[in-house]
Amino acid sequence: MTDGTVETRQDGVGRNMQQKPRNPGALMRMAEPLLWSLASLALFVGAWEFAWWRGWANPLLLPPPHIFLANLPDQFRFFDPSGARAGALGEGGSIWSVLGVIGWTALRVTTGLILGFVLSLATGLAIRYFRIFGKLSLPLVTMLAPISPVAWIPVAVFVFGIGNPPAIFLVFIAIYFVMTLATLSLIDNVPRNYIQLAQIMGCSKRQIYRHVILPAILPALFVTLRMNLFGAWMVVLIAEAVGVGSGLGQVTMMARNTFNASLVFFTMTLIGITGFLFDQALRLIQRKVLWWVGPGNAGGL
Amino acid sequence: MLGLSIKNVSKIWNADGLNPVPAVSNLTLDVAPGEFVVLLGPSGCGKSSLLYIVAGLEKATSGSASFDGIEITEPSPDRGLIFQEASLYPWLSVRDNVTFGLKIAGHTPVKRAEAAERLLKLVGLANSGDKRPHELSGGMRQRAALARALAMRPRVLLMDEPFAALDIQTRARMQQHLLDIWESSKASILLVTHSIDEALALADRIVVFTSRPGRIKAEITLDMPRPRDLRSPEMIDFARRCEALLAEEVEKAFKEQELA
Repeated sequence: MTDGTVETRQDGVGRNMQQKPRNPGALMRMAEPLLWSLASLALFVGAWEFAWWRGWANPLLLPPPHIFLANLPDQFRFFDPSGARAGALGEGGSIWSVLGVIGWTALRVTTGLILGFVLSLATGLAIRYFRIFGKLSLPLVTMLAPISPVAWIPVAVFVFGIGNPPAIFLVFIAIYFVMTLATLSLIDNVPRNYIQLAQIMGCSKRQIYRHVILPAILPALFVTLRMNLFGAWMVVLIAEAVGVGSGLGQVTMMARNTFNASLVFFTMTLIGITGFLFDQALRLIQRKVLWWVGPGNAGGL
Repeated sequence: MLGLSIKNVSKIWNADGLNPVPAVSNLTLDVAPGEFVVLLGPSGCGKSSLLYIVAGLEKATSGSASFDGIEITEPSPDRGLIFQEASLYPWLSVRDNVTFGLKIAGHTPVKRAEAAERLLKLVGLANSGDKRPHELSGGMRQRAALARALAMRPRVLLMDEPFAALDIQTRARMQQHLLDIWESSKASILLVTHSIDEALALADRIVVFTSRPGRIKAEITLDMPRPRDLRSPEMIDFARRCEALLAEEVEKAFKEQELA
């Protein structure tokens, strides 16, 4: 830990992020997590290929990566960003159509996540800010929270029909109630000192919420969002399989219906990579925008 | 009358509940403008409770506290508070922390920048304005908290064991620093501590508390100039007196805990 300038903090948060590490030691530190990710993946793929080679895994049911990644154009045919009906071959066939399909799914997840984050934050703040509103709505939120997003699918289709809105709605539902409850718990755990100091310096209730409580809870709330990200991905795939008719979920369902094991695993690979990249992107936002860590916040995540 | 006036104040925590805890009992104390008063007592004797009542953050169960003749009912920038932990806001730079109260009060950015420069220089953090609180040492954080309180030009500074979390060398420097600032600011200081040395180094008047519920056991007036040599025979004498007074109370508190 002797390398790096004195100014650079070891965990690399805050404005010092702009100071790019220039020496080999720092580069190694940055590359290390990537190497571990690759090793982790290689171990899994290796075990699978080994199982195939020994004849334990039936290539028709559990085709190993070298089979389902062998003929990419063959797989690409099934991806149609415009949303073909299940089982049919659409306009797909190029890498662009695959990216298009991923893009649509990612867009639905992102929209749902943003809506969920903003509205749950607003609800949580309102529940604590307006006493009567809080007393009226908190029991309802607590009762709705345990209902699985899957149970909301019929509701989503009844209300929004087929298309993007039900998928976005389901992602939203998957995180909204949990995140509202998380917001409340975070508000209740803002250090008393923070609020008392604001009172002494003449803050009104509104100013305390705006200048103290909101910034105090944002980083930890964002961590909660990241934890719920994978849940949102699972839900969007189900929603696409049932209520949208396009996207990665629809391709997976089509592969299941046509007994195309290679396509199933190829799509699963895409889902895994995309989900991983999403998590990385959220981490980046967290580090750049919400770098501060207060007492009691999950700073290690 | 001017200054801080505490009259027959009692504080009972959880007064309506099953286990009421008396913290302060029928306490009367005046702090003159510009006076440096140290509340000395065993842990949990209600000194901090009294400080919170004076700050306006807690209500007395009975009795009243007033400042310049006006009863204290809510917190005010006139009565700055400094906690044991600096409690700087981690999302603000040191400079923005120091001028947070000025921003709330509606001062312009230009005025705030001027104030920040003056205050940071005053507490010896002139080069740390752009840093984040977590980049400062414990002593620097506490100095920033002091600057933040001073920004509001308080008439009285309430300090709740402000140096307890610091190492002994930093502590001594911070005490000297506080004395310098106190002399230039003309504010009264009401400081809570359980360190006899700290009380002797700082106070015009030491108010020794009894164990819970807190009452005034003794008042010791120190009129020697500062900085004081705590190893002089005179100061050692004072230290012995304080020690004897505190020892009685600690003993009492232990006995009570054994009975309970």
